[in-house]
Amino acid sequence: MAITFQVNGVERTLDIDDDTPLLWALRDELELTGTKFGCGMNRCGSCTVHVDGTARRSCVLPISRVADKSVTTIEGLSTDGDHPLQIAWQEISVPQCGYCQAGQIMKAAELLSSTPEPTDDDIDTAMRPNICRCGTYQRVRKAIHVAAAEMSKAPGQADGTAAGEV
Amino acid sequence: MTPKDLDSNMPGPSAQESSQTAVVKLTESISRRGFVGGASAAALTLAFTSPTLAKLPVAAQAASSANFEPNAWISIAPGGQVKLIIHRSEMGQGVRVALPMMLADELGVDIEDVEIEQAVADTKYGNQNTDGSTSIRLNWEPLRKAGAAAREMLTQAAANRMGVPANECTVTSGVVEHGGSGKTVSYADVVADAAALDVPAEPTTLDRASYRYIGKPMPNWDVPDIVAGKADFGIDTRMDGMVFASIERSPTVAGKVKSFDATAAKAVRGVRSVHQLEPNTAFFRMFGGVAVVADSTWAAMKGRKALTIDWDNGGASENSAAHRTQLDGLVEGEGKAFRSEGDFAAAKASAAKVMTAKYHAPYLVHAPMEPLVATAIVTADKAEIWAPTQDPKTAKDRLVQLLGLKPEQVTVNVTLLGGGFGRKSKPDFIFETALIAKELPGTPVKLTWTREDEIRHGYYRSQNAQKIEAALDADNNVTGWRHHTAFTSLVSTFAPAMNEPSGTEVDMGMTNMPYRFPAVQLEKSAIKSDLRIGWLRSVCNTFHAHSINCFVDELAEAAKMDPVAYRLKMLGEPRVVEFGSRDKPHGQDIGRLRHVIEKCAEISKWGKADLPDGVGHGFASHFSFLTYVAMAMKASVEDGKARVHHVDCVMDCGTFVNPDTVRAQIEGAVVFGLSYALYGSITAKDGAVVESNFHNYPVLRIDEMPTVNVHLVENTKPPAGVGEPGVPPVAPALANALYAVTGKRLRDLPLEGQLA
Repeated sequence: MAITFQVNGVERTLDIDDDTPLLWALRDELELTGTKFGCGMNRCGSCTVHVDGTARRSCVLPISRVADKSVTTIEGLSTDGDHPLQIAWQEISVPQCGYCQAGQIMKAAELLSSTPEPTDDDIDTAMRPNICRCGTYQRVRKAIHVAAAEMSKAPGQADGTAAGEV
Repeated sequence: MTPKDLDSNMPGPSAQESSQTAVVKLTESISRRGFVGGASAAALTLAFTSPTLAKLPVAAQAASSANFEPNAWISIAPGGQVKLIIHRSEMGQGVRVALPMMLADELGVDIEDVEIEQAVADTKYGNQNTDGSTSIRLNWEPLRKAGAAAREMLTQAAANRMGVPANECTVTSGVVEHGGSGKTVSYADVVADAAALDVPAEPTTLDRASYRYIGKPMPNWDVPDIVAGKADFGIDTRMDGMVFASIERSPTVAGKVKSFDATAAKAVRGVRSVHQLEPNTAFFRMFGGVAVVADSTWAAMKGRKALTIDWDNGGASENSAAHRTQLDGLVEGEGKAFRSEGDFAAAKASAAKVMTAKYHAPYLVHAPMEPLVATAIVTADKAEIWAPTQDPKTAKDRLVQLLGLKPEQVTVNVTLLGGGFGRKSKPDFIFETALIAKELPGTPVKLTWTREDEIRHGYYRSQNAQKIEAALDADNNVTGWRHHTAFTSLVSTFAPAMNEPSGTEVDMGMTNMPYRFPAVQLEKSAIKSDLRIGWLRSVCNTFHAHSINCFVDELAEAAKMDPVAYRLKMLGEPRVVEFGSRDKPHGQDIGRLRHVIEKCAEISKWGKADLPDGVGHGFASHFSFLTYVAMAMKASVEDGKARVHHVDCVMDCGTFVNPDTVRAQIEGAVVFGLSYALYGSITAKDGAVVESNFHNYPVLRIDEMPTVNVHLVENTKPPAGVGEPGVPPVAPALANALYAVTGKRLRDLPLEGQLA
């Protein structure tokens, strides 16, 4: 069945089974491999994307549920990998293996949209769904604070809208 | 075995560990060097490029006869471009940055000018197994000497060009300058001349004071790609015409498919074919099962679920509760002694008091965030693999046998690894992919394991039981120490009857117990397992460090001493000892162990910390992978669960290359250690693993993350391990902290469920 939705600002139509998880549609059909497979059952957050601005686990989200909606993946979070979170992630050297990090960043971007100046507790609550087996949590917290501070400086971003988000 | 006191002023790295390797490399390079002058010179590349690994299939052909290749790893193009082959796998430990730092310093070039390329499996690179925390320590001497040889040759060539003596020249950023005249010649201009010179047999490495990069933090160059979603892991390999596979494996290792019905599977849209796989004991005990090949990963997974399979479980019968009872019984009896000093039996017979404790730890699985995945193209006379493997060379060697091909017909490319922790040094997933691809000649096949596959078909850290007995005199001085460990050896994965813990396994944290007791008796016992056993980050150190650190705390309490003061007293004066294989080649330096303990007590304000009510301070120390670690942990119990607030860690890993990476590895070690201390438990029912995903194999999450403060000891000792040594002290530091607040000695892992 043909399903039409927006991915990173571009309209795409896929003729695939309704129950295909968004994750596999993105990875196998659209070759957007930044979104990762970690558990397949909504337990690790590696597959986190935004659907109409809300962080969702694409591994358990059937493609039928995103018909006519707007999906943003890590590839579309910013135009040149320069979202304040992506920059802070580099400054703090957050990633180790890096596999879960796209999911971490997408979840953090949602947090900063709703909570521009999060506390450690806000971060812990928001980021709890996302597992990092390498153990980068301490740096994730720090990088989110750094990005929040940077975004609060930037005029026009004070409402928390993720820079470059489409 | 008798402890061997070594000279505590041992010079540098041992000859057998590294220099010999360097000589081999350098000798090899002489015969391989085939420089042809007059090739078109490429411009010196100033921009650092981090090659995208997915491009490896087309990029891995760089060896050109026009390049100056003083050894297997380094090539310098006629225009001066330096390329370093990274022959170890990157799984977040920073090897793709650390090795170039070492080369840039010795070669005398800006690190931005060093291009890197991931090695394919090849004997010319020597040991490619990224395992045992060895990537820096085993390459420290050979790689720096290789860089020094190239620098000496390029400097000589430049000096010849200027007509000045080489020993009057210095190198800065790839430019050779003659001190007297101020004349300069760039490396880029003398590549051909240098290539015509003899490779120096004994190149001189630089004084450490002149290093620009080693010892200073350097960002990981893959990070910009990682945060943009552009870094290519094994799961991201994509090729035209690719098909996708998923395998329903036998629930038990020895199990076989009796019969199966694929009618429903083949009816799933996108499913192309179905293939039966036989278990193979000789190839890392790979599982049997049924593979479904489809047009997409999802179709393959759906097709697999639609299979109906009748299994012969191969006689597997292990149940965890019974296995534990058997282990407990073993450590109550006599084991096979492997270190004996003094007379424990006599000490026990005359003891005023005997203290005993039994410890238990379950199986653990690795759970790297990227499940196992590989891509293969196989034809009648060729196989090429792309995989997130820690050990491409072993994968290649065994594929040659499995597929009946010649070594030159098999290529194993290494992608980035989404975590490894020891699991990805086992090539079973690569074998499976290759066997499926062999049935579809010329078609690229990507096999993706699910999380359930990874949890249920692992190579587990052994289930383990230990008993420690101490004989004490009337003043609570220990007169004898007896320690008995029982577990299944990881050798059983290669030789199913070999269950007895090997020397190298008990040498991890048990044989090399550093405390001085008048009598010491160490014993081991074997148990058969129906599961596959493998090495998991820090291996047997995980359970041996736990029992010893917890029991030493009990002995300190009996002696009415502070646990840190007690450790220092029982370690005795600084000296170097050697107990078993894991203390080689430098020995265990009690002075360095004392130092990390003392420093950790200092920075954690041990005994003086202002602890809130209900917060306990726990201590542990451990020597593993030639590195010394002490850890102090603040923890409490909240709502029946352990809550860790803060960790202070002091590590002496000798010379370190990239301190930011070392710190990250300790932060990660705390998370890894707390994950298994609190939650980690794999259980078996009728020989099959029960757990399946993160809901029943939980790992630490961010809201449970303590703050971690790391202090690195700076010295010029040989580099030692970094990736693993931070893990073993975590669980005992936590257990000791919890004792301080609960008064309960929790001797079983995991701790979850015992605190309510």
